[in-house]
Amino acid sequence: MGSDPDDDDEAERLRARLDRLAAELKSRAAPPPRPEPKSAPQASGSDAGSGMSLGLRAGSEFVSAVIVGAGVGWVLDRALGTNPAFLIVFFMIGVAAGVVNVIRVTSPKGAPLTRNSPLSRANSPDKDVPRSASRAEQDASLGGRGAAGGPFRPRSEADDDED
Amino acid sequence: MATESGPAVDPISQFALHPVVPIHIGGYDLSLTNCGLFMLLAVALSCLLVAIGARGGPGVPGRMQAMAEMSYEFVAGMVRSAAGDAGMRFFPFAFSIFFFVLLANLIGFFPFSMASTSQIIITVALALIVFFTVVVIGIKEHGLHFFKLFVPPGVPIYILPLVVAIEVVSFLTRPVSHSVRLFANMLAGHITLNVFGSFVIMLAGAGAIFKGLAVMPFLGIVALEALELLVVFLQAYVFAMLTCMYLNDALHPGH
Repeated sequence: MGSDPDDDDEAERLRARLDRLAAELKSRAAPPPRPEPKSAPQASGSDAGSGMSLGLRAGSEFVSAVIVGAGVGWVLDRALGTNPAFLIVFFMIGVAAGVVNVIRVTSPKGAPLTRNSPLSRANSPDKDVPRSASRAEQDASLGGRGAAGGPFRPRSEADDDED
Repeated sequence: MATESGPAVDPISQFALHPVVPIHIGGYDLSLTNCGLFMLLAVALSCLLVAIGARGGPGVPGRMQAMAEMSYEFVAGMVRSAAGDAGMRFFPFAFSIFFFVLLANLIGFFPFSMASTSQIIITVALALIVFFTVVVIGIKEHGLHFFKLFVPPGVPIYILPLVVAIEVVSFLTRPVSHSVRLFANMLAGHITLNVFGSFVIMLAGAGAIFKGLAVMPFLGIVALEALELLVVFLQAYVFAMLTCMYLNDALHPGH
């Protein structure tokens, strides 16, 4: 059975805690999301070094995926006697796997395969602009170009190249 | 440094293997080669570093202890950041891999030595150890759930076979890129140094005017050595880091 002073104490403490948590939340939300240090382990080296190693890593991931894909296809072909079929299919799968690897290497850890990769300028000004806005802008500029006699592009296609 | 290539200026000859201690057992050539010798040296040095560093003793910690502690902190931080606290049971593995690769790389800087990691068979062996560790531990820990690694969540059923094929190929890629990266970096670095060294020799032997010019590739070698030092550390770090990330997949295959 808590008496009154106890309850007051409790409420006071809870309020203080709430304030503190709110302040903490604000301070966490305030700075723009930094690129995670985990995803850029080479950041401890110099800038040139880390960029070079990231580039080499991405390159080797891609090349080895293509080679492994072709190798798997070749082995399957030899085993099954279907000569070029699996080689072709797995070569293409290897290329796809290479692209996936490169995206995975360059996108932040934990996040889905997405946008803020070091190769795609995490902080470019239009990065987080909703697509609809940029689409409207694009339409406007298209209209301007059309009036000036630029090459005509149907709007539906113009929209597509954003993705 | 890799500039001593004998009379013939052949940048590849520095990687040639030759037996140091010939051993032949039952028709197999099991000789200890120069590569194996320098690997043993790397193992011995890393053991020595930790053994001396961990000896402790009364009073103020010495330099070796500080170095051993720093390297412990460094690798522990790397393992924690890549594989979480659960990954710390792989700490000895990651520590060994990191120091073996680092010291094997560094030994290559000394004249008349070779970097064992510039032999692709060494890096492939290391990468395959990591690969099979991941597979074995993943299956032991999670059973068939380990294969969820190949099935990303939220993929529509009609493209699932394609995605799984891509993921499987991507998984099989790991040992290849893991090993080739280290090997290629070491090989390329040592060949570059050797080629620059041969420029010095050729220019110095080419006559009066060119003798002065020989200073320039020499300065190039000095700069390249510094770059090589960076690359050596970076590659050892990347190799160990990737090891941790792959082990993380074994521990948490569901992404």
